[in-house]
Amino acid sequence: MSLVADTSVPASQPTWAGQLAESLRRFFLHRRWITFIVIGVVWQVTAMTANIGLFPTPITVIATSWQYVITGLFFSELGISMLRIILGFSAALLIGLIVGILMGSRRFWDEFFQDFVILGLSLPGLIYALLCVMVFGIGLTAPVMAIILATYPFVAVNIREGVKAIDKELLDMSRVYTVDRWRLVRQLILPSLLPFILAAIRVGFTVAWKVSVLTEVFGGDSGIGYQIRVDFASFKMRGVLGWGILFGMVMLAIEYGLLVPAEQHFARWRAKVKEVI
Amino acid sequence: MEAITATPVSSRLGWSDRLGQSLKRFILSPRWLAIVVALVVWQIYADYRDTRLIPTPIRVFTKLYEIVVSGLFFEELAASMVRIAIGFGAALLVGLIIGILMGSRDSWNDYLKDLVTFGLAMPGLIYALVAVLFFGLSLWAPVTAILATSYPFVAVNIREGVKAISKELLDMSRVYQVKRSKVVLQIILPSLLPFALAGFRLGFAIAWKASTLVELFGATNGIGWQIRASFDEFSVHGMLAWALLFGLVMLFIEYGILLPIERYFGRWRPKVKQVM
Amino acid sequence: MEATAISVRNLVKTYGDPGRELLVLDRISFDVATSSLVTIVGPSGSGKSTLLNVLAGLEPYKSGNVEIYSSAGGSKLGYVFQSSRLLPWLSIEDNLMFVRPQHVDKARHKERTQRYLKMVGLKNVGQKYPHQLSGGMQQRVGIARSLCVEPAVLLMDEPFSHLDELTAEQMRAELLQIWQATQRTIIFITHDLQEAVQLGDRLIMLDYQGHIFEDIKIDLPRPREFTDRAFVDFYADVVRRFHQMQAKRAEELTDSET
Repeated sequence: MSLVADTSVPASQPTWAGQLAESLRRFFLHRRWITFIVIGVVWQVTAMTANIGLFPTPITVIATSWQYVITGLFFSELGISMLRIILGFSAALLIGLIVGILMGSRRFWDEFFQDFVILGLSLPGLIYALLCVMVFGIGLTAPVMAIILATYPFVAVNIREGVKAIDKELLDMSRVYTVDRWRLVRQLILPSLLPFILAAIRVGFTVAWKVSVLTEVFGGDSGIGYQIRVDFASFKMRGVLGWGILFGMVMLAIEYGLLVPAEQHFARWRAKVKEVI
Repeated sequence: MEAITATPVSSRLGWSDRLGQSLKRFILSPRWLAIVVALVVWQIYADYRDTRLIPTPIRVFTKLYEIVVSGLFFEELAASMVRIAIGFGAALLVGLIIGILMGSRDSWNDYLKDLVTFGLAMPGLIYALVAVLFFGLSLWAPVTAILATSYPFVAVNIREGVKAISKELLDMSRVYQVKRSKVVLQIILPSLLPFALAGFRLGFAIAWKASTLVELFGATNGIGWQIRASFDEFSVHGMLAWALLFGLVMLFIEYGILLPIERYFGRWRPKVKQVM
Repeated sequence: MEATAISVRNLVKTYGDPGRELLVLDRISFDVATSSLVTIVGPSGSGKSTLLNVLAGLEPYKSGNVEIYSSAGGSKLGYVFQSSRLLPWLSIEDNLMFVRPQHVDKARHKERTQRYLKMVGLKNVGQKYPHQLSGGMQQRVGIARSLCVEPAVLLMDEPFSHLDELTAEQMRAELLQIWQATQRTIIFITHDLQEAVQLGDRLIMLDYQGHIFEDIKIDLPRPREFTDRAFVDFYADVVRRFHQMQAKRAEELTDSET
């Protein structure tokens, strides 16, 4: 028995693969290439003509990067660095999640952890890297500990905002309808938190990368940071720049190839995606 | 049970009552518990492991006290501040220009977006190393490194600020034929101010980190250099002391200077959200 | 048929710290018969939403007794809010499944969701997301949601106040049809006297002190239109009583100031 006339509404739910394809298309058909070309040309010309003997030309840098890739050095060192980062970041994520949830739900925990989080956010990852290298020496512990110390505050802050942003009206509604705890967590709390978790991952991962590389620079015997130090010590600027570019490319690939599509996929029920930090 | 059907009494508290309440909350705050727990854990861990590697809290704070009292802290701070002032000043200028360009026209946004993204993704380490390799121990090294590392953060915030300038207000000014200078002074600048401040705060924090990084590799004074010295001497308590001082300076600037300024200029706003 | 669905005795509700309390509901007592549609009106701040929240178990109360009688193992409450309160990341169908009571299995609840979505005129909307629906449609989903748990009591807190008048008028008519079809016990809160008189078969008026100022039976046949003389007279009488209540309040305020 229908008491009122029906109404129809259009649907629009893009897929993950669709998002990725769209991203790629927009990447390549773009004005950005003009900027790159301009910069590349200016750089090349300046390096060649002006008497800056020490500064490498873009071609030299690209060639060096290419070298590292072809010889497989890039991949082996990347693998080693990635291992450390994944270990450290996973731990940092877990700790940050716990602290963030605590801070977001109860005022007591908010005040308890507040100073640590603020201090953690203010100190540069550099300090954690140096400290951990000094205390833990060479090995896996130094980078992992440094990553944890430097990253968890960023995760905690984002998660805290997420917990505080959980819609109280929806919580009340669930209470009136006596929705059971498990369903509440799975269908209300986790989806609410998801954009914040993703933001936390994006920021946290950036920090984790940088700190990990720093530990490798100061106290490593392998990994991308170690390679950078080797080149630095030999005054091989094209090497340092080369690694820098490779490093930047990997980060961009992760950001735009993995994190952004993931974020848009999980937020497709929204009209727009807003990001905290 | 006494019942009142007028406004609840709590909204009629005087300022002295509220100050009292604030003080009470501050003193009874769990943060002291947290600090005590942290110090205890630290002490226990220091005793458990070789105390050469993990100094006791007392040792660190003694060293910290020495550094401050002897004036060394202020010398090194000044040296670093000079570099930051120049480098960040340049970053502000560059970031402002790029941000305004990117915010006003889509075409500029397309051209410049990657410079900014790349700048955000690139670790300050690379800039620091390259700058030191190229400029050696001169002032140019820190200045260029700081400039390169922090301008993207300023640019991004300015861009958001420009995009947020209300077209409605601008249209309204056009209808009333308001003078250009007035529009800039009373619409554009106030609109931009919160974003500029947010960019300043973030960029400044980044600038500090960048300068410390450069001083680590290519300087003979400054806080970063002191940290390097501690590292080379394997002085954990020294580094912790300098690290804490560094943190305190940053916190002081953030909460003592920047936040109050932001609140003052943003007091007509319900809330200010920081980009990045 | 005249069983009691809700029984409230000497309900007292306050806000604030002990010693400095604000009295919101002052010894409220009333019973609600099953299948009746009771409207509760009062000025802003008279505690009508609070009363509903107490009935719903969302807020505690200081003293008194509140009983909601439901069949053994049945759901007690459905609630329609002022804003739709739909989970934005779930489809409409999933939103309705979200409130499935423990004692109802999935298949049976699914059948109910489809039945009630059809009843509110949203048969094909199950796979859409809330942001794709208009405000009125979202409210209808909220109503369907409250119906599909087949509650003993249906609470509605100014459900049409955020809609434009035309849509609201339509929704009122639909609500009456749904009520007559399902015979649910409904408590309907509103600040709109006209809405209250048009909908309810009983009207409870709260005053500024948290008392029940009036408790009126409305025996008029439906639909109640302004073309119907009896309705107009009745409505005028209710308005008069409402003004009496406001006048009394003004008197008290000036008294307390002298």
